[in-house]
Amino acid sequence: MTIRKWIERIEGEASVQFEFEKNHVSFATIAFPHSRGMEAILQSKPAMDALVITPRVCGICGHSHLFAAVRAIESVYANCGAPVEISQKAESIRELTLTLELIQNHLKWLYLVIYPELSHLLQEKIADSCRLKGAYAASLATKILAIFAGQWPHSSYMIPGGVTCDPTHVDSIRAEGLLDELIRWFEKELIGITLDEYSHFSSDKAFLTVTGDMEKIEKMLKKAKMHEQGFSYDRYLAMGEHAFSKSSKWVNRRMAKVHSKFVTLEEPYSIGEKTYAKNALYQHNSFETGPLARAMIKGVPFIKQMYRQYQDSTYTRVMARSYEAALLLEHCKKLLHSINLEEPSYIKPLKKITALSGEGIGIVEAPRGSLIHSVILKNGIIDHYRLITPTQWNLSCGSPKTPGPAQKAMIGADSIETATFTFRSFDVCSVCTTH
Amino acid sequence: MKSRPKLLWLQGVTCNGNTHSFLNYPHLSYILETFEFLYHPLLPATYTLEEIASCTQQCDILIFEGAYDPRMMRAGARMETLVQHYGSSATTIIAAGSCASFGGMFKQSDPEYITGLGFDREIAKGPFAKSPKLINLSGCPIHPEWLGYTLRMIADNKVILIDEMHRPKELYAYLAHHGCTRNEYFEWKVDADQFGTKEGCLFYKQGCRGPMTHASCNKILWNDVSSKTRTGSPCFGCTEPDFPRTNMFETKTNMSIPQDVPLGISKRSYLTLTGIAKSFRIPRLEKRLIDDNT
Amino acid sequence: MKSEPEKSINTKKEDRKASIMQTALKLFSTEGFYTTTMPVISKKLGMSVGNLYNYFSSKDELAKELMLYISSMLGEKLREINMSDKSVREKMDMIVKMYFTIARERPELIEYFLRVFLSNREIFTKECTGMVCVSDFVTELMLFFDDGVQSGVLKDQDFFSALGLFMGYLGGMVFLNGEEVLPHPLSDYESAIAENIYNALRKQ
Repeated sequence: MTIRKWIERIEGEASVQFEFEKNHVSFATIAFPHSRGMEAILQSKPAMDALVITPRVCGICGHSHLFAAVRAIESVYANCGAPVEISQKAESIRELTLTLELIQNHLKWLYLVIYPELSHLLQEKIADSCRLKGAYAASLATKILAIFAGQWPHSSYMIPGGVTCDPTHVDSIRAEGLLDELIRWFEKELIGITLDEYSHFSSDKAFLTVTGDMEKIEKMLKKAKMHEQGFSYDRYLAMGEHAFSKSSKWVNRRMAKVHSKFVTLEEPYSIGEKTYAKNALYQHNSFETGPLARAMIKGVPFIKQMYRQYQDSTYTRVMARSYEAALLLEHCKKLLHSINLEEPSYIKPLKKITALSGEGIGIVEAPRGSLIHSVILKNGIIDHYRLITPTQWNLSCGSPKTPGPAQKAMIGADSIETATFTFRSFDVCSVCTTH
Repeated sequence: MKSRPKLLWLQGVTCNGNTHSFLNYPHLSYILETFEFLYHPLLPATYTLEEIASCTQQCDILIFEGAYDPRMMRAGARMETLVQHYGSSATTIIAAGSCASFGGMFKQSDPEYITGLGFDREIAKGPFAKSPKLINLSGCPIHPEWLGYTLRMIADNKVILIDEMHRPKELYAYLAHHGCTRNEYFEWKVDADQFGTKEGCLFYKQGCRGPMTHASCNKILWNDVSSKTRTGSPCFGCTEPDFPRTNMFETKTNMSIPQDVPLGISKRSYLTLTGIAKSFRIPRLEKRLIDDNT
Repeated sequence: MKSEPEKSINTKKEDRKASIMQTALKLFSTEGFYTTTMPVISKKLGMSVGNLYNYFSSKDELAKELMLYISSMLGEKLREINMSDKSVREKMDMIVKMYFTIARERPELIEYFLRVFLSNREIFTKECTGMVCVSDFVTELMLFFDDGVQSGVLKDQDFFSALGLFMGYLGGMVFLNGEEVLPHPLSDYESAIAENIYNALRKQ
């Protein structure tokens, strides 16, 4: 039996066709029906315009696209023998605003998607106002981001050589005040204990001290038996270089170096339905990317402990993303304190951008995982631009023999509802996938 | 209880940026209490997208995000059908963002077919061209306060005055230049010689469109705290029908003379004034705003 | 509204001022700026030095007023050319012709600009810095260049590199003419010079 379902609230929609055998999902195909041709829009534009165009790939993670685009252009400079110098201050500010985008994403996902979906799944009603909590907390994060980047969404403040802003202590103090407010909210509403205690959990036993919405969400996950399903390949990939994440892959419980040359794009498996998504593979294999992958590679004790017990179940995946928000809040605090405002924000590249011809690649860890921008410039004009987004890894659509990570995770689910929840545990972004 | 006006948030060719921008609105709970959301891509709503796509409901306010492509299918329904059905019952149609207003960024996906709801760039075209019901809230993305203002004006039955591009005058009579913290540098023609400083005007080299762009970004700040120009980025003119332009980080000049000058000012007058203002050396404006000297 | 007698007094004063400027202009451009003192000017005009100071508070002030007058007069002529619906190439001919006509009919104007204004910048530092006193003329040249680039005829380049080529060439020819080096009258060179400037500035 085949049942088709539109899945929405994933930054657009996806059409999923579920195959059932003996009342369980035996296979599912995923199609993303909309595309805007971002790569074609970028074609023949001056390189700097990529900093305005690529954030518009996505309304929720556009800042990650900006970061990937600026890294890609800077990599062209380096490959042309004219590496761009960047101050520590500019590096820290970039990392700070990226981190804040991840935080707003995770909190929105938790309150506007996961919590309501769990309540729907278990028929336990939650108030509409509860969902707005996520929007409120996210707006605090974007407010801090905007102090440095001017606005969120769609800032273009990262440029080759640094950042455009020139903050004073008035700005950084304001940012610290807002971050404190966000952390207090996090402690009061979400976890009921201090962020410091929470982010230093070393065993899942410690979770017993957690109250607030996170306690409810965790209980609901267990009640819905999410710790017993949603297992995928147990192969993880994180390619972006950041202080909060390590660039590596994790296969068969072993870490190994990664290189972008092993990343390929392949045509999706289709059963006659039009999809614009291309599958992203590493050495022709499916990999899971995102917060769970980052935690496994970085070795986050709490998540590793959870993994030992529940492997890469939907439960672990959801918990890893929620927990990452806490780690990132801690990271933000450190970053804000570390910024030396005396340093330059911007160091003018020695070579004119119109004199650049060559290739470049920019990789960052976006909310949903590794995001790759590759560019070829000819005299500063974009000759070719390629985007590989995290959902292209997680939601790749393979054949029954080679299903993608989310496809594999949905196999065995006893209903469309539980399969859909597992689908959502990957935090799907439709607009990024097809771009 | 009085029935609340029915609001439908529909998406065309979009990045979801307007949806996420509006989630920053500080008074969302007021909006959710005042209006019934038939559908919204993220906020709690009465119906699913599939139910909306069956065109059995009617709305009072249609908010449309993204560029308009009549051929696009959304949850199985053709966009032309959806927009005609919901647009005919709505008393107000709000184009949320520049794509919905003028075609914007995603007009470039397929320039032949894609337009805004009532404009194709600056030309009246599209399903609601010249419709008195149409309100354009251009901007890439929409500013949450601008949409909040519009919805509250509607809820309070107040008249919204609009300009010739159907944008509310109270929001778009201002230029992005108004309230810019770099205004004095503009007055005395002191340009920012490079990025990354709070000093200097971005109009001369860095491509700033502030003096030519209808937008209250420097009056009603972004995320309540800042704006592009306040953080050293040029205004890209994202509320105007010609957004996105090309070479957006550079001012288009002809023999060092800016091609475009502030709105409504003749180039002759502008250059006369510039020549004079540029002749004065003002040490206070040439040094760092905050330096080590006492 | 001003009363009739008052108006006539003003007009009279303006006329007097104009004749002072005319005389000073001649003296400055022929005798040099430093040798032409206020007493020299007043003597030539047949008026007392004290009375001359009623019209101009200093020699520098007089020098500045002269430059403003020349710039506005040249600017006005250039503006007429700019506003005409001629092509950039035709306008180029018109500008060169206009400049050489003035150099022939009122050589003291151009002489003053070249020999006094450009050669004695220290006099003009206070209130005539940069472009202030030649703004009318320079603005019109800017508009001419801007129009030329926008219409795709002239090459986009730095303003001053174009200005230097344009004005340096014209000034040089007027200078050579003044030194009586040129074998033919200035007007004979008009079309060749316009063509040279056009070729140098046009988009390749």
